[in-house]
Amino acid sequence: MKSSTRFLAFAPVLALAVLGMTACGRKSDSGASANGSSGPVEIKFLHKWPQPVNMAYFEGVVKAFETANPNIKIKMEAVADEPIKDKLRVLMGSDSQPDIYFSWSGEFAKKFVSSSNAFDLTEALNADPGWKDSIMKAGLEPFTFNNKNYGIPLRINGKFFVYNKTLFAKYKLSEPQTWDQFMSTCETLKKNGVVPIAFGNITPWAACHYLTGLNQKWVPQEVREKDYDPKNGEFTDPGYIKALQYFKNLNDKGYFNKGVNSTEHNMMVETFAQGKQAMMYVELEEFQDVNTKMAGKPWGFFPLPSIENAPGNQKFLTGAPDGFMVSAKTKHPQEAIAFLKFLTNKENSAKLVSTLGWPSPVIGAVNSSNAPDFLVKGMEAIQKAEGMALWLDTDINIKISDIYLPDLQELLNGKKTPQQIMKEVQDAARQVASETK
Amino acid sequence: MTAEEDSPFRRQEGTSLRSNQNRSLILLYILPALLLMTSFIYYPLVQNFIYSFYRWSAFSSSKVFIAFDNYKRLFLDPVFYIAVKNNVLYALVSVLCQCGIGLIIAAALEEKFLRRYQGFFRTVYFIPAVISMTVIGLLWQLIYNPNIGIVNAMLDLLKLGRFAHEWLGDSNTAIYAIILVSQWQYTGYIMLLYLVAMQKIPAELYESARIDGAGPTRCFFSITIPQIKEMIVVCTVITIIGSFKLFDEIYVMTAGGPGRSTEVLATAMYRSGFRNDEMGYAAAFAVVLFLITFIFTLIQLKVSRTSEE
Amino acid sequence: MQRTSVGTRLGRSLIWAGLCIYAAGIIYPFVWMFVSGFKTTSELFNNTWAPPAHWNFQNYVDAWNQGVGRYFMNSVIVTLSTVVLTIFISAAAAFAMSRFEFRGKKLMLVFVVGGLMLSPEVSVISLYKLLQDMKIYNTYLSLIIPYTAFRVPFTIFLLRSYFLSLPREVEESAYIDGCGTFRVFWSIVLPMSKPIIATASLLTAMAAWNEFMFGLVFIESDKLRTIPVGLMNLRGAFSTNWAVLLAGLSISASTMIVFFLLFQKKLIRGLTEGSVKG
Repeated sequence: MKSSTRFLAFAPVLALAVLGMTACGRKSDSGASANGSSGPVEIKFLHKWPQPVNMAYFEGVVKAFETANPNIKIKMEAVADEPIKDKLRVLMGSDSQPDIYFSWSGEFAKKFVSSSNAFDLTEALNADPGWKDSIMKAGLEPFTFNNKNYGIPLRINGKFFVYNKTLFAKYKLSEPQTWDQFMSTCETLKKNGVVPIAFGNITPWAACHYLTGLNQKWVPQEVREKDYDPKNGEFTDPGYIKALQYFKNLNDKGYFNKGVNSTEHNMMVETFAQGKQAMMYVELEEFQDVNTKMAGKPWGFFPLPSIENAPGNQKFLTGAPDGFMVSAKTKHPQEAIAFLKFLTNKENSAKLVSTLGWPSPVIGAVNSSNAPDFLVKGMEAIQKAEGMALWLDTDINIKISDIYLPDLQELLNGKKTPQQIMKEVQDAARQVASETK
Repeated sequence: MTAEEDSPFRRQEGTSLRSNQNRSLILLYILPALLLMTSFIYYPLVQNFIYSFYRWSAFSSSKVFIAFDNYKRLFLDPVFYIAVKNNVLYALVSVLCQCGIGLIIAAALEEKFLRRYQGFFRTVYFIPAVISMTVIGLLWQLIYNPNIGIVNAMLDLLKLGRFAHEWLGDSNTAIYAIILVSQWQYTGYIMLLYLVAMQKIPAELYESARIDGAGPTRCFFSITIPQIKEMIVVCTVITIIGSFKLFDEIYVMTAGGPGRSTEVLATAMYRSGFRNDEMGYAAAFAVVLFLITFIFTLIQLKVSRTSEE
Repeated sequence: MQRTSVGTRLGRSLIWAGLCIYAAGIIYPFVWMFVSGFKTTSELFNNTWAPPAHWNFQNYVDAWNQGVGRYFMNSVIVTLSTVVLTIFISAAAAFAMSRFEFRGKKLMLVFVVGGLMLSPEVSVISLYKLLQDMKIYNTYLSLIIPYTAFRVPFTIFLLRSYFLSLPREVEESAYIDGCGTFRVFWSIVLPMSKPIIATASLLTAMAAWNEFMFGLVFIESDKLRTIPVGLMNLRGAFSTNWAVLLAGLSISASTMIVFFLLFQKKLIRGLTEGSVKG
């Protein structure tokens, strides 16, 4: 470093400048709490879609809202799918909770409610029946606890098998309705040298989505609901083991591609679209992406096939709404609710569908004039279902899920048997039950 | 006055030590460092010990005192043992590869016929060490990919296709795959430290050995190694310490999976605290981690002290 | 410096081969990464080994705009601040510890050495709580201050050794001429320590630039993320665009490589002179 004296003299100036910059950074973060009554109200809004095309949509909505409400400023943040699971937990313990934050439904949302971090929205919804009635019950219900509403759904998702119509036609296959038909479809494909199912499980939520449906189909509803509640979890029903066995069977018979635990789900979407596999289990929100990647090749979809003689309701669909909750600690509940109302009004919901291809739970938002055919059909399937099986990892206590999900990877590797896995789950559930008050 | 002879524990009492300086002025010089270290190093450390005796979650502010329960649970937790095993495995392989093979490569590069190219190789081998773990981790995740990865493709090319494997997805191979990445990344760094030490060895030693008829291997064992003994020990210890502090590579490449087979102490700590919301339990992990790295650092300091006397 | 030369041709060829294979094993993945950044994602999956059909520079532009640029700036800000703060605080302390007698000097030394033994990861849980209580969580300071705190012990160590080895005559005459301690510190000792300061700065910069865990835990807002953590975020973000992700990785890697090549000589000289062990 030449002439370090000069540098050293310059350095304090630099240091001061940097500290000044960071102080500014800090100030804008805490600006909301500093401002009391004077100046615009600032709402912190956290969602889980930092991808550019999604950000563009949200920025548009935010700007429109701010224009219509000049005294409210929205400070938007986005954290991606995997990290937000951790971040939300971390945020709850901090003083800088967002006013509006993304949440999955079910047990995930319930955790916020039981730790007094969620604002009760029942009153606001009841006061505006137009708003309340415009949202599908299936969207609101998973955010409702003790008959109180705590969350507003932005999307409602269903999980379906998408399939390559060309490949199916080539081997004279049709959409399987039952599990046995499904297995023979896979067998036919395999015999003809086609990998039946594309599956990427390096992040184990992918396997968990399979298990969600299988658990729901194999375990009677009341038993499952009781077990998923952290206070009463036992997981002793033999249906759980059956569910694991059915899942393992798909792998043992070679119906998945190789290397499931080392590939990402989104990578497999690419290869599915290139025709290297015949089917893939994806969410409704991915249909748009699949369609683009298929680039004109015909494709269709069907739900997880029903299992004959299994005790669960076979007319359920794996899927769940996700959306937003309001912080119980917010200083501006009215403004936050106003933004949520705006976000889920007919106009913005229709835009959500047409620009992002996301399934909106607002009734009528998905219709044949603004949505492609596959989306309309997907929504119909959701509406037709008798109930939803919410994603397993968001529907049980995180400690149990932290045993269940990695074990699914071990199941696929042949390292753990279904019995071993359930034993671990039972132990974890017991510990959680003892710790939950 | 070479820096080698200098030692943190031998003070040079010169005539310039002014004992009549204004006390508060001196304090001003050391105050920022003192404050910083106390608040951000020592205080959190003590706090961490305390936290490990409680059960608390990030969600709520209530803490429940549970004494040694976290530790009892820790020593019964299979994940703890998997983590320790992985750290130890890591340490062993790293010492063998980085410190061992690194030493051999350094010695090779010092050979006359390679001198001209030493700079080139030295730079190339060192480059992975300067690159952020995220880049390396994401790149290697692709390299290990069973379908588009270089490793399996190369095996195919060499007609060894039957060895193609899902490296990161199989709990048997995953940790080894990650360990390999670390060796790839850091061997050059350790090798550089060795080179620096080797270049200080006086040439006369080698000349007289050559006159006596010693071959290169003989020289390596009888001259090179004893001369850089201290550096070898230091490298070994910092490699071991690094193996226990391991976090980035695991987090980026497998997050502890498949199953929990690639979990190490630091990732298990992170997961308990920030994903499973058990801060007290995570603090217990941290205490164990601290004890291990503390002991090894103590060893390193002792060794560097004794070798200078 | 003479060495005995490895005798046999075979021996030499084997060594050559080994070294070249190792070098290729390092160079090739990086080349693959750079080149793949120019492909489209479907090309990446279909023609993994062939050169790209078209050289899409757009991928690199996209990567920069979609976050890499921002992460880069954040890393620069955090690293620069850390280096500056660390050097100043450490130099001041090292100066006092190498020049003055005071009560508690030994204690201070133990304090510093103790700080060397503590690895940052251990304190992440309590630091997380502390930073929140101090209300600087999720700001640049939440990284700068802990980074500085953890680099200070080693840097004091390094600088103190060097200061101790400096000849005192110049300082002595300065004092006699009536200079205050700060003048001596600023205008004499520091300039004389250029090499060690350079090494300390480079090592601190490397550590801060590549630091991951604190960056992951203490920063939430995407606007403030540093490169190591930000790139991870890209993986989720570019869920359908692996080629752009590779472009982003390439940008990050090439910056570091260029930086290293520029300062390589200084670093090595510092390692040689200062008997630094990293």
